[in-house]
Amino acid sequence: MATQPYALACEGGLDKASSSFELLRRPGAARRLRNFEVDVAGGYRRVNGFSAFGGSDAANPSTDNDILGLHVYADGLIACSSTNIYFSLDGTSWLQINRASVDSGGDNYSTFTGRSAAARTSQGKAHFVTYEGDTTYGEVIVTDEGSGVKPFYFKMTGTGALSDRTYYAKEITVSGTHYPKFCTIHDKHLVVAGASTALNTIFYSGTSDIDDFTTTGSGSIVLDDQVVGLRSFRDDLIIFCKNSIYKLVNINNSSTIAVQPITQNIGCLDGKSIQEIGGDLVFLAPDGIRTLAGTVRIGDVELGTVSRAIQPVMKDIADNIGSLNVSSLVIRDKSQYRLYYGSDSTGDASEGIIGTLKTDAQGATNFQWSETFGIDASASATSGFNSSGVEKHYHGDYAGRVFNHDTGDNFLNTSGTETNIVAEYQTPDLDYGDLGTLKTLKYVKVSATPEGTVATKLRVRYNYDDTDIPQPSDYTLSIDKPSLFGTAVFGATAAHVFGASSDPMTRQAIEGSGHSNYFRIFSDDQNSPYTINGIYIDYEPSGRQ
Amino acid sequence: MATTYLQLTNELLRELNEVVLTSSNFSAAIGIQAHAKDCVNRAYDDIVMAEPQWGFLATGESGATDPFYGNVYVETVAGTRWYELKSSSSSVTTDYGAIDWDNFYLTTIGVSGESAPYTSQNLKFINSSDWVRYRREAENADDSDSQSYGEPTHVIRSPDTRKFGISPIPDKVYRVWFFAWDLPTALDAHGDTIVFPDVYASVLMARARYHFHQFKDSPQQAAFALQDYKEGLKKMRSNFLNPEPNYITDDRLYF
Repeated sequence: MATQPYALACEGGLDKASSSFELLRRPGAARRLRNFEVDVAGGYRRVNGFSAFGGSDAANPSTDNDILGLHVYADGLIACSSTNIYFSLDGTSWLQINRASVDSGGDNYSTFTGRSAAARTSQGKAHFVTYEGDTTYGEVIVTDEGSGVKPFYFKMTGTGALSDRTYYAKEITVSGTHYPKFCTIHDKHLVVAGASTALNTIFYSGTSDIDDFTTTGSGSIVLDDQVVGLRSFRDDLIIFCKNSIYKLVNINNSSTIAVQPITQNIGCLDGKSIQEIGGDLVFLAPDGIRTLAGTVRIGDVELGTVSRAIQPVMKDIADNIGSLNVSSLVIRDKSQYRLYYGSDSTGDASEGIIGTLKTDAQGATNFQWSETFGIDASASATSGFNSSGVEKHYHGDYAGRVFNHDTGDNFLNTSGTETNIVAEYQTPDLDYGDLGTLKTLKYVKVSATPEGTVATKLRVRYNYDDTDIPQPSDYTLSIDKPSLFGTAVFGATAAHVFGASSDPMTRQAIEGSGHSNYFRIFSDDQNSPYTINGIYIDYEPSGRQ
Repeated sequence: MATTYLQLTNELLRELNEVVLTSSNFSAAIGIQAHAKDCVNRAYDDIVMAEPQWGFLATGESGATDPFYGNVYVETVAGTRWYELKSSSSSVTTDYGAIDWDNFYLTTIGVSGESAPYTSQNLKFINSSDWVRYRREAENADDSDSQSYGEPTHVIRSPDTRKFGISPIPDKVYRVWFFAWDLPTALDAHGDTIVFPDVYASVLMARARYHFHQFKDSPQQAAFALQDYKEGLKKMRSNFLNPEPNYITDDRLYF
């Protein structure tokens, strides 16, 4: 019988929620997609690694204490650890910035560093917000979930070396002994909430007076539920509570200011999960990742989640949220939302999910998901634009280390050793249109976009990994990186091959037969990333058996 | 070295683009691999069944005990008519695969206590109906009375094919030589080898392919394989069974 062609394009992302039969009609989806990311340009791309912030000279902000929060500020990074807050330009040295008695007109470097510390007693996971205002770098407010100290204010001006800059720092009194956990800037106000002494109260500062909660425009509102996160979104302030979500409207009009419920059946599991991406707010709800718009429109039904494809993962997170730390960040140039979850004991086995906003063939824009393994970023992760307008991404771990996120070709384990990135992509079982027909596979052509020399492996398993039929050994796929004019020099390295295609189709003869089969492409190395665009399969149907 | 069961099975698997076996997992083959093993054995049987008297199936080397033509002998017992062709066999499943009934030979050479002049003569085959009609009654009467018996001149095949009889019932010990062919043992272990020369392994493979393609519902491929097999078998017959020059013998000279 003549051979038949079959091709699948890698699209749809990880799907752990659909049955194996449902997935027969969605061959482009992935049954496993670990340490891959859905590429907005198409296909599944192996993730980048991460590297020490500061390179080989990297220093920890506070020895081996947990990194409790990171925030891109000015031309550097703010980190919270132990009972202090630090700032660094390059990760090789850290300036402690939680100083007391700083002059209201600003301190120069030597005066500032000579001030006593304003200890962040019982500092927990930190929350940051930058009020851009009219200053060079803006003003940063830091709160933390330890709720043991007042919000901290920090501002820096000047350029060049830190010793040439001017520093402003102080604690902000909100109300009595209330030490809010969460903060955000909304319409010229600093809004804080979640103090352990007033869990369901939000406080807002005076208008255009973010460090004063007594001036005109300030006030407080008591809610029905405990606040777990705040985020300004367009004209509204969204208040995420444990079991409900509200929005505060008209903050600048004392006569019409009001808190309106969005939903009183769905809350947010962790304020650290809240991010803005794709013109919407996303957050971790008990039933998965939700968008605010979807929740407003659909309410508390499961249809409102955007993570249904990975519902088992989300259920696992929700079921164990009490023992998990959560951090999240967005990578805007990849249209990605990343959420990491773990604890100080998960270490190199830490996990995370990556959601990429992607427009499918039908024109609908949805999140497509994948997983990460080995990125210990649940302690803290952040992204933001620095003073040059460049988006930067960082994460910190439980050993006090800070990393450049999403860069390089390897991970760093808890001992600081460069380790392989173990990545795997597995298609659903493919029935080629008829599950009843036995097919003998002849060869596959894997379309990949290498970013360097790539050595992946290909595994074929028949009949849903049936142990009662022979399964072939793994095949090695060697994909050469082409020498392209202007990007690589012919012969400069063995990694570049003159005349190679930029999107090569790597042919691999395979063996075995079955009624269905899946392909798994995986790598365990420190080679460059690569994108799997699709797979062409040549097979021979051989009757219904 | 003769082709092994593993080599044959893997050749078939490779040709059909299936996962090959190794010596370590051969005995635990599953699914299509197990079917490939079955196909090889089935093809092996097919070749054997096509001609039970293939030279390579001979029970022993011809003329090993010079100058006798046969490769097996059975010693008679005075007064006993029937003898198992293969005394070590307990059932038809382990009997010889074929016997040359036209080539039985009786002698006293080699019999303990015998000396020259020896008895030596061909035993003519007599079909059972003739034996029943002309000889049985007299021989049985003798056996139940005087027991004089006699020197056997004919050989009879028992209806169940497991024994031969001699007529008359022997009066003493003789050796009856004849030519026998074994039934081959099915291939089992990965190192088991086929009994015919490697050059004919392709015939076996063609037949195995025929069975395999039938399993895969590929009638056209099966037909091609069958044609290959038939042509191969024809060559085997020509090479193994027709090596003698062709002469025409006119038996009328004896009348």
